[in-house]
Amino acid sequence: MSAVIAARGLTKRYGKNTAVDHIDFEIPAGRIVGLIGPNGSGKTTTLKAALGLIPFEGELSVLGKDPRTERDALMEDVCFIADVAILPRWLRVRDALDFVEGIHPRFSRAKAEAYLARTKLGADQKVKQMSKGMIVQLHLALVMAIDAKLLVLDEPTLGLDIMYRKQFYQHLLEDYFDEGKTIVITTHQVEEVEHILSDLMFIRDGKIVLASTMDEIGQRYTELMVGPDKVGAANALGPIDKRTVFGKSVMLFDGVPRAQLDVLGETRNPSVADLFVATMKGMYA
Amino acid sequence: MTSGWNDTTPIYLQLKDRVIGMMLDGVLKAGDALPSVRQVAAEYQLNPITVSRAYQELVDDQLVEKRRGIGMYVTEGASEKLLASERERFLREEWPALLERIRRLGLNLDQLMRSTPSANGGAA
Repeated sequence: MSAVIAARGLTKRYGKNTAVDHIDFEIPAGRIVGLIGPNGSGKTTTLKAALGLIPFEGELSVLGKDPRTERDALMEDVCFIADVAILPRWLRVRDALDFVEGIHPRFSRAKAEAYLARTKLGADQKVKQMSKGMIVQLHLALVMAIDAKLLVLDEPTLGLDIMYRKQFYQHLLEDYFDEGKTIVITTHQVEEVEHILSDLMFIRDGKIVLASTMDEIGQRYTELMVGPDKVGAANALGPIDKRTVFGKSVMLFDGVPRAQLDVLGETRNPSVADLFVATMKGMYA
Repeated sequence: MTSGWNDTTPIYLQLKDRVIGMMLDGVLKAGDALPSVRQVAAEYQLNPITVSRAYQELVDDQLVEKRRGIGMYVTEGASEKLLASERERFLREEWPALLERIRRLGLNLDQLMRSTPSANGGAA
Protein backbone atom coordinates (compact mmCIF):
# COMPACT_ATOMS: atom_id res chain seq x y z
CA MET A 1 0.00 0.00 0.00
CA SER A 2 1.23 3.49 -0.81
CA ALA A 3 1.46 6.32 1.69
CA VAL A 4 -1.59 7.12 3.79
CA ILE A 5 -0.76 10.82 3.53
CA ALA A 6 1.58 12.22 0.88
CA ALA A 7 2.27 15.93 0.61
CA ARG A 8 4.36 17.67 -1.98
CA GLY A 9 4.83 21.40 -1.94
CA LEU A 10 1.88 21.75 0.41
CA THR A 11 1.37 25.45 1.08
CA LYS A 12 -1.25 27.44 2.91
CA ARG A 13 -1.36 31.21 3.05
CA TYR A 14 -3.63 33.26 5.22
CA GLY A 15 -3.37 36.66 3.56
CA LYS A 16 0.28 37.70 3.66
CA ASN A 17 1.07 35.12 6.29
CA THR A 18 2.36 31.73 5.12
CA ALA A 19 1.19 29.17 7.67
CA VAL A 20 2.52 26.14 5.82
CA ASP A 21 5.40 26.68 3.45
CA HIS A 22 6.02 24.11 0.68
CA ILE A 23 6.23 21.05 2.83
CA ASP A 24 6.85 17.51 1.62
CA PHE A 25 6.19 14.41 3.69
CA GLU A 26 4.87 10.89 3.51
CA ILE A 27 3.20 8.84 6.18
CA PRO A 28 3.03 5.09 5.54
CA ALA A 29 0.27 2.84 6.93
CA GLY A 30 0.48 1.34 10.39
CA ARG A 31 2.37 4.24 11.92
CA ILE A 32 1.74 6.44 14.90
CA VAL A 33 3.15 9.80 13.91
CA GLY A 34 3.74 12.71 16.23
CA LEU A 35 3.48 16.11 14.56
CA ILE A 36 5.17 18.39 17.03
CA GLY A 37 5.70 22.13 16.85
CA PRO A 38 5.29 25.36 18.79
CA ASN A 39 2.03 27.27 18.75
CA GLY A 40 1.41 28.78 15.34
CA SER A 41 3.95 26.58 13.55
CA GLY A 42 1.44 25.11 11.10
CA LYS A 43 0.48 21.80 12.72
CA THR A 44 -3.25 22.31 12.79
CA THR A 45 -3.24 23.95 9.36
CA THR A 46 -1.51 20.86 7.93
CA LEU A 47 -4.10 18.59 9.53
CA LYS A 48 -6.97 20.76 8.37
CA ALA A 49 -5.64 20.54 4.82
CA ALA A 50 -5.43 16.76 5.09
CA LEU A 51 -9.00 16.61 6.34
CA GLY A 52 -10.27 18.77 3.50
CA LEU A 53 -11.33 21.55 5.83
CA ILE A 54 -9.40 24.32 4.09
CA PRO A 55 -8.25 25.05 0.55
CA PHE A 56 -4.49 24.91 -0.06
CA GLU A 57 -1.81 25.00 -2.74
CA GLY A 58 0.43 22.13 -3.77
CA GLU A 59 -0.24 18.42 -3.84
CA LEU A 60 -1.79 16.45 -1.06
CA SER A 61 -3.13 12.94 -1.22
CA VAL A 62 -4.84 11.24 1.69
CA LEU A 63 -5.56 7.51 1.26
CA GLY A 64 -5.09 8.13 -2.44
CA LYS A 65 -7.75 10.83 -2.53
CA ASP A 66 -7.66 14.58 -2.94
CA PRO A 67 -9.14 16.11 0.21
CA ARG A 68 -10.31 19.16 -1.76
CA THR A 69 -12.52 17.27 -4.17
CA GLU A 70 -13.15 13.86 -2.58
CA ARG A 71 -13.80 14.85 0.99
CA ASP A 72 -17.04 12.88 1.40
CA ALA A 73 -15.50 9.61 0.26
CA LEU A 74 -12.42 10.32 2.34
CA MET A 75 -14.38 10.86 5.52
CA GLU A 76 -15.53 7.24 5.47
CA ASP A 77 -11.98 6.24 6.24
CA VAL A 78 -10.78 9.15 8.32
CA CYS A 79 -11.65 10.09 11.89
CA PHE A 80 -10.73 13.21 13.75
CA ILE A 81 -10.64 14.37 17.35
CA ALA A 82 -9.71 17.97 18.06
CA ASP A 83 -9.39 19.81 21.29
CA VAL A 84 -11.58 22.49 19.78
CA ALA A 85 -14.23 20.06 18.54
CA ILE A 86 -17.54 20.95 20.04
CA LEU A 87 -20.51 18.73 20.69
CA PRO A 88 -23.82 20.56 21.12
CA ARG A 89 -24.59 21.02 24.81
CA TRP A 90 -28.09 19.58 24.57
CA LEU A 91 -26.88 16.35 22.94
CA ARG A 92 -27.43 13.15 24.91
CA VAL A 93 -25.07 10.19 24.68
CA ARG A 94 -27.83 8.21 23.01
CA ASP A 95 -28.41 10.96 20.41
CA ALA A 96 -24.73 11.05 19.59
CA LEU A 97 -24.75 7.29 18.93
CA ASP A 98 -27.91 7.59 16.82
CA PHE A 99 -26.39 10.39 14.82
CA VAL A 100 -23.10 8.69 14.01
CA GLU A 101 -24.88 5.42 13.31
CA GLY A 102 -27.07 7.29 10.85
CA ILE A 103 -24.28 8.98 8.92
CA HIS A 104 -21.34 6.59 9.12
CA PRO A 105 -21.44 3.28 7.27
CA ARG A 106 -18.59 1.83 9.28
CA PHE A 107 -19.74 2.68 12.78
CA SER A 108 -20.32 -0.17 15.21
CA ARG A 109 -22.84 0.89 17.82
CA ALA A 110 -22.10 -2.22 19.88
CA LYS A 111 -18.43 -1.27 20.08
CA ALA A 112 -19.21 2.27 21.16
CA GLU A 113 -21.65 1.04 23.79
CA ALA A 114 -19.16 -1.50 25.10
CA TYR A 115 -16.61 1.25 25.47
CA LEU A 116 -19.07 3.61 27.14
CA ALA A 117 -20.07 0.87 29.58
CA ARG A 118 -16.58 1.15 31.02
CA THR A 119 -17.06 4.85 31.73
CA LYS A 120 -19.45 6.68 33.99
CA LEU A 121 -21.38 8.05 31.04
CA GLY A 122 -25.03 7.09 30.89
CA ALA A 123 -27.15 6.97 27.73
CA ASP A 124 -29.32 9.88 28.88
CA GLN A 125 -26.52 12.14 29.94
CA LYS A 126 -26.28 15.45 28.13
CA VAL A 127 -23.05 17.04 27.00
CA LYS A 128 -23.70 20.03 29.25
CA GLN A 129 -23.61 17.71 32.27
CA MET A 130 -20.21 16.31 31.33
CA SER A 131 -16.74 17.29 32.43
CA LYS A 132 -14.08 17.92 29.82
CA GLY A 133 -12.67 14.45 30.41
CA MET A 134 -16.10 12.87 29.90
CA ILE A 135 -16.62 14.73 26.63
CA VAL A 136 -13.33 13.33 25.38
CA GLN A 137 -14.46 9.86 26.46
CA LEU A 138 -17.62 10.27 24.45
CA HIS A 139 -15.63 11.45 21.45
CA LEU A 140 -13.27 8.53 21.80
CA ALA A 141 -16.16 6.07 22.08
CA LEU A 142 -17.61 7.39 18.82
CA VAL A 143 -14.31 7.44 17.00
CA MET A 144 -12.96 4.10 18.17
CA ALA A 145 -16.16 2.39 17.06
CA ILE A 146 -15.51 3.51 13.49
CA ASP A 147 -13.30 1.20 11.52
CA ALA A 148 -11.32 4.01 9.91
CA LYS A 149 -7.92 3.78 8.29
CA LEU A 150 -6.64 7.13 9.50
CA LEU A 151 -7.21 8.75 12.86
CA VAL A 152 -6.15 12.36 13.33
CA LEU A 153 -5.79 13.64 16.88
CA ASP A 154 -5.21 17.35 17.37
CA GLU A 155 -4.19 18.01 20.97
CA PRO A 156 -6.53 15.24 22.09
CA THR A 157 -5.64 15.35 25.77
CA LEU A 158 -5.29 19.09 26.25
CA GLY A 159 -6.73 20.16 29.58
CA LEU A 160 -7.37 16.61 30.77
CA ASP A 161 -6.13 15.35 34.11
CA ILE A 162 -3.48 12.67 34.26
CA MET A 163 -5.93 9.77 34.71
CA TYR A 164 -7.95 10.69 31.64
CA ARG A 165 -4.79 11.23 29.63
CA LYS A 166 -3.32 7.88 30.48
CA GLN A 167 -6.63 6.14 29.88
CA PHE A 168 -6.99 7.84 26.53
CA TYR A 169 -3.78 6.39 25.11
CA GLN A 170 -4.37 3.07 26.83
CA HIS A 171 -7.70 2.59 25.09
CA LEU A 172 -6.27 3.75 21.83
CA LEU A 173 -3.50 1.15 21.96
CA GLU A 174 -5.53 -1.67 23.40
CA ASP A 175 -8.82 -1.39 21.58
CA TYR A 176 -8.17 0.56 18.43
CA PHE A 177 -4.74 0.60 16.90
CA ASP A 178 -3.48 -2.18 14.64
CA GLU A 179 -1.05 -2.38 11.75
CA GLY A 180 -3.77 -1.51 9.24
CA LYS A 181 -4.49 1.80 10.94
CA THR A 182 -2.54 5.01 11.06
CA ILE A 183 -2.66 7.65 13.75
CA VAL A 184 -1.40 11.23 13.47
CA ILE A 185 -1.14 13.10 16.78
CA THR A 186 -0.28 16.69 17.51
CA THR A 187 0.46 17.48 21.11
CA HIS A 188 2.51 19.69 23.37
CA GLN A 189 2.75 16.90 25.89
CA VAL A 190 5.53 15.10 24.05
CA GLU A 191 6.84 13.15 27.01
CA GLU A 192 3.51 11.42 27.28
CA VAL A 193 3.43 10.13 23.70
CA GLU A 194 7.08 9.67 22.91
CA HIS A 195 7.20 5.91 23.47
CA ILE A 196 3.95 5.39 21.62
CA LEU A 197 5.16 7.07 18.44
CA SER A 198 6.77 5.20 15.58
CA ASP A 199 7.60 8.41 13.70
CA LEU A 200 8.31 11.99 14.59
CA MET A 201 7.88 15.20 12.61
CA PHE A 202 8.94 18.60 13.91
CA ILE A 203 7.38 21.62 12.28
CA ARG A 204 8.64 25.15 12.70
CA ASP A 205 7.53 28.32 10.94
CA GLY A 206 5.49 26.29 8.47
CA LYS A 207 8.41 24.06 7.49
CA ILE A 208 9.24 20.51 8.49
CA VAL A 209 12.58 20.60 10.24
CA LEU A 210 12.79 16.97 11.21
CA ALA A 211 11.00 13.88 9.91
CA SER A 212 12.23 10.52 10.95
CA THR A 213 11.31 7.19 12.49
CA MET A 214 11.90 6.91 16.21
CA ASP A 215 14.44 4.16 15.48
CA GLU A 216 16.48 6.47 13.27
CA ILE A 217 16.26 9.20 15.88
CA GLY A 218 17.63 6.81 18.49
CA GLN A 219 20.55 6.08 16.22
CA ARG A 220 21.14 9.60 14.98
CA TYR A 221 21.06 11.66 18.15
CA THR A 222 23.16 11.22 21.25
CA GLU A 223 23.40 13.33 24.34
CA LEU A 224 26.82 13.45 25.94
CA MET A 225 27.70 14.60 29.43
CA VAL A 226 31.33 15.58 29.37
CA GLY A 227 33.75 16.85 32.03
CA PRO A 228 35.86 20.02 31.56
CA ASP A 229 38.95 18.03 30.51
CA LYS A 230 37.30 16.63 27.40
CA VAL A 231 35.09 19.54 26.38
CA GLY A 232 37.54 20.55 23.65
CA ALA A 233 37.51 17.11 22.06
CA ALA A 234 33.72 16.99 22.27
CA ASN A 235 33.34 20.48 20.78
CA ALA A 236 35.49 19.41 17.84
CA LEU A 237 32.79 16.86 16.92
CA GLY A 238 30.30 19.66 16.33
CA PRO A 239 27.48 19.42 18.88
CA ILE A 240 24.18 20.90 17.69
CA ASP A 241 23.31 22.07 21.19
CA LYS A 242 25.12 22.73 24.46
CA ARG A 243 24.18 23.45 28.03
CA THR A 244 25.91 23.21 31.38
CA VAL A 245 24.74 21.21 34.40
CA PHE A 246 26.75 21.04 37.64
CA GLY A 247 29.93 22.12 35.87
CA LYS A 248 29.59 19.43 33.24
CA SER A 249 28.70 20.19 29.65
CA VAL A 250 25.72 18.44 28.16
CA MET A 251 25.97 18.32 24.38
CA LEU A 252 23.65 17.04 21.74
CA PHE A 253 25.12 15.39 18.66
CA ASP A 254 23.51 14.53 15.36
CA GLY A 255 25.04 11.66 13.41
CA VAL A 256 28.20 11.20 15.47
CA PRO A 257 28.72 7.46 16.15
CA ARG A 258 27.90 6.51 19.74
CA ALA A 259 31.23 4.71 20.17
CA GLN A 260 33.11 7.90 19.41
CA LEU A 261 31.21 9.74 22.15
CA ASP A 262 31.30 6.96 24.74
CA VAL A 263 35.02 7.55 25.28
CA LEU A 264 34.42 11.23 26.11
CA GLY A 265 31.82 10.82 28.82
CA GLU A 266 28.37 9.54 29.67
CA THR A 267 26.02 9.09 26.72
CA ARG A 268 22.27 8.66 26.57
CA ASN A 269 19.37 8.98 24.16
CA PRO A 270 17.93 12.48 24.26
CA SER A 271 14.21 12.64 24.97
CA VAL A 272 11.89 14.07 22.34
CA ALA A 273 11.54 17.12 24.58
CA ASP A 274 15.34 17.63 24.55
CA LEU A 275 15.40 17.35 20.78
CA PHE A 276 12.50 19.72 20.47
CA VAL A 277 14.17 22.36 22.60
CA ALA A 278 17.39 22.07 20.61
CA THR A 279 15.58 22.21 17.27
CA MET A 280 13.38 25.17 18.18
CA LYS A 281 16.17 27.33 19.61
CA GLY A 282 15.71 30.96 18.79
CA MET A 283 11.98 30.55 18.26
CA TYR A 284 11.05 32.12 21.54
CA ALA A 285 13.89 34.61 21.89
CA MET B 1 5.39 8.78 31.96
CA THR B 2 4.43 5.41 33.34
CA SER B 3 7.25 3.16 34.15
CA GLY B 4 10.66 4.73 34.42
CA TRP B 5 12.61 3.62 31.37
CA ASN B 6 16.22 4.70 31.31
CA ASP B 7 17.72 6.72 28.46
CA THR B 8 20.78 4.64 27.85
CA THR B 9 19.32 1.41 26.45
CA PRO B 10 16.67 0.96 23.76
CA ILE B 11 13.29 0.36 25.37
CA TYR B 12 12.68 -2.97 23.67
CA LEU B 13 15.82 -4.31 25.37
CA GLN B 14 14.68 -2.92 28.71
CA LEU B 15 11.31 -4.57 28.25
CA LYS B 16 13.04 -7.83 27.33
CA ASP B 17 15.12 -7.57 30.50
CA ARG B 18 11.99 -7.06 32.57
CA VAL B 19 10.45 -10.23 31.18
CA ILE B 20 13.72 -12.07 31.80
CA GLY B 21 13.72 -10.72 35.35
CA MET B 22 10.23 -12.12 35.86
CA MET B 23 11.42 -15.50 34.55
CA LEU B 24 14.42 -15.51 36.88
CA ASP B 25 12.23 -14.55 39.83
CA GLY B 26 9.83 -17.34 38.99
CA VAL B 27 6.92 -14.98 38.31
CA LEU B 28 6.79 -16.37 34.79
CA LYS B 29 7.28 -20.13 34.64
CA ALA B 30 7.63 -22.64 31.81
CA GLY B 31 4.34 -22.92 29.96
CA ASP B 32 3.02 -19.57 31.24
CA ALA B 33 1.46 -17.26 28.68
CA LEU B 34 2.90 -13.80 28.10
CA PRO B 35 0.37 -10.96 27.91
CA SER B 36 -0.51 -9.93 24.36
CA VAL B 37 1.48 -7.27 22.55
CA ARG B 38 -1.59 -5.07 22.65
CA GLN B 39 -2.00 -5.41 26.41
CA VAL B 40 1.62 -4.63 27.10
CA ALA B 41 1.59 -1.68 24.69
CA ALA B 42 -1.48 -0.26 26.42
CA GLU B 43 -0.23 -0.90 29.94
CA TYR B 44 3.23 0.59 29.44
CA GLN B 45 2.12 3.11 26.77
CA LEU B 46 4.56 1.83 24.20
CA ASN B 47 4.37 1.50 20.46
CA PRO B 48 3.28 -2.07 19.64
CA ILE B 49 6.35 -2.41 17.41
CA THR B 50 8.55 -1.90 20.47
CA VAL B 51 6.74 -4.66 22.32
CA SER B 52 6.84 -7.00 19.32
CA ARG B 53 10.54 -6.46 19.02
CA ALA B 54 11.14 -7.34 22.66
CA TYR B 55 9.06 -10.49 22.23
CA GLN B 56 10.90 -11.38 19.05
CA GLU B 57 14.21 -11.14 20.91
CA LEU B 58 12.86 -13.57 23.50
CA VAL B 59 11.79 -15.92 20.71
CA ASP B 60 15.24 -15.67 19.12
CA ASP B 61 16.80 -16.56 22.46
CA GLN B 62 14.39 -19.52 22.66
CA LEU B 63 13.04 -18.33 25.98
CA VAL B 64 9.59 -17.88 24.56
CA GLU B 65 7.71 -19.66 21.80
CA LYS B 66 4.97 -18.52 19.52
CA ARG B 67 1.97 -20.80 19.44
CA ARG B 68 0.14 -20.00 16.28
CA GLY B 69 -3.05 -18.08 16.81
CA ILE B 70 -2.91 -18.17 20.60
CA GLY B 71 0.12 -16.24 21.75
CA MET B 72 3.50 -16.41 23.37
CA TYR B 73 4.51 -18.94 26.00
CA VAL B 74 7.56 -19.41 28.18
CA THR B 75 9.46 -22.43 26.85
CA GLU B 76 10.36 -25.51 28.85
CA GLY B 77 13.87 -25.08 30.10
CA ALA B 78 13.80 -21.29 29.76
CA SER B 79 14.83 -20.70 33.36
CA GLU B 80 17.71 -23.21 33.18
CA LYS B 81 18.88 -21.57 29.99
CA LEU B 82 18.63 -18.16 31.62
CA LEU B 83 20.47 -19.22 34.73
CA ALA B 84 23.25 -20.63 32.60
CA SER B 85 23.56 -17.48 30.52
CA GLU B 86 23.24 -15.19 33.54
CA ARG B 87 26.00 -17.13 35.31
CA GLU B 88 28.15 -16.86 32.25
CA ARG B 89 27.44 -13.13 32.00
CA PHE B 90 28.20 -12.61 35.68
CA LEU B 91 31.56 -14.33 35.35
CA ARG B 92 32.37 -12.39 32.20
CA GLU B 93 31.10 -8.89 33.08
CA GLU B 94 30.34 -8.44 36.76
CA TRP B 95 32.89 -10.67 38.44
CA PRO B 96 36.01 -9.03 36.95
CA ALA B 97 34.72 -5.61 38.06
CA LEU B 98 33.87 -6.94 41.50
CA LEU B 99 37.26 -8.61 41.78
CA GLU B 100 38.95 -5.38 40.82
CA ARG B 101 37.05 -3.54 43.55
CA ILE B 102 37.91 -6.21 46.13
CA ARG B 103 41.57 -5.85 45.20
CA ARG B 104 41.43 -2.07 45.41
CA LEU B 105 39.87 -2.22 48.84
CA GLY B 106 42.57 -4.65 49.92
CA LEU B 107 40.12 -7.27 51.14
CA ASN B 108 41.46 -10.79 51.47
CA LEU B 109 39.67 -14.10 51.11
CA ASP B 110 39.59 -14.68 54.83
CA GLN B 111 37.78 -11.39 55.52
CA LEU B 112 35.33 -12.05 52.71
CA MET B 113 34.51 -15.53 53.93
CA ARG B 114 34.00 -14.29 57.46
CA SER B 115 31.43 -11.79 56.16
CA THR B 116 29.55 -14.36 54.11
CA PRO B 117 26.53 -15.57 56.10
CA SER B 118 26.05 -18.92 54.41
CA ALA B 119 29.71 -19.93 54.37
CA ASN B 120 31.06 -21.94 57.34
CA GLY B 121 27.83 -21.72 59.25
CA GLY B 122 27.23 -17.96 59.28
CA ALA B 123 28.93 -14.64 59.75
CA ALA B 124 31.35 -14.22 62.57
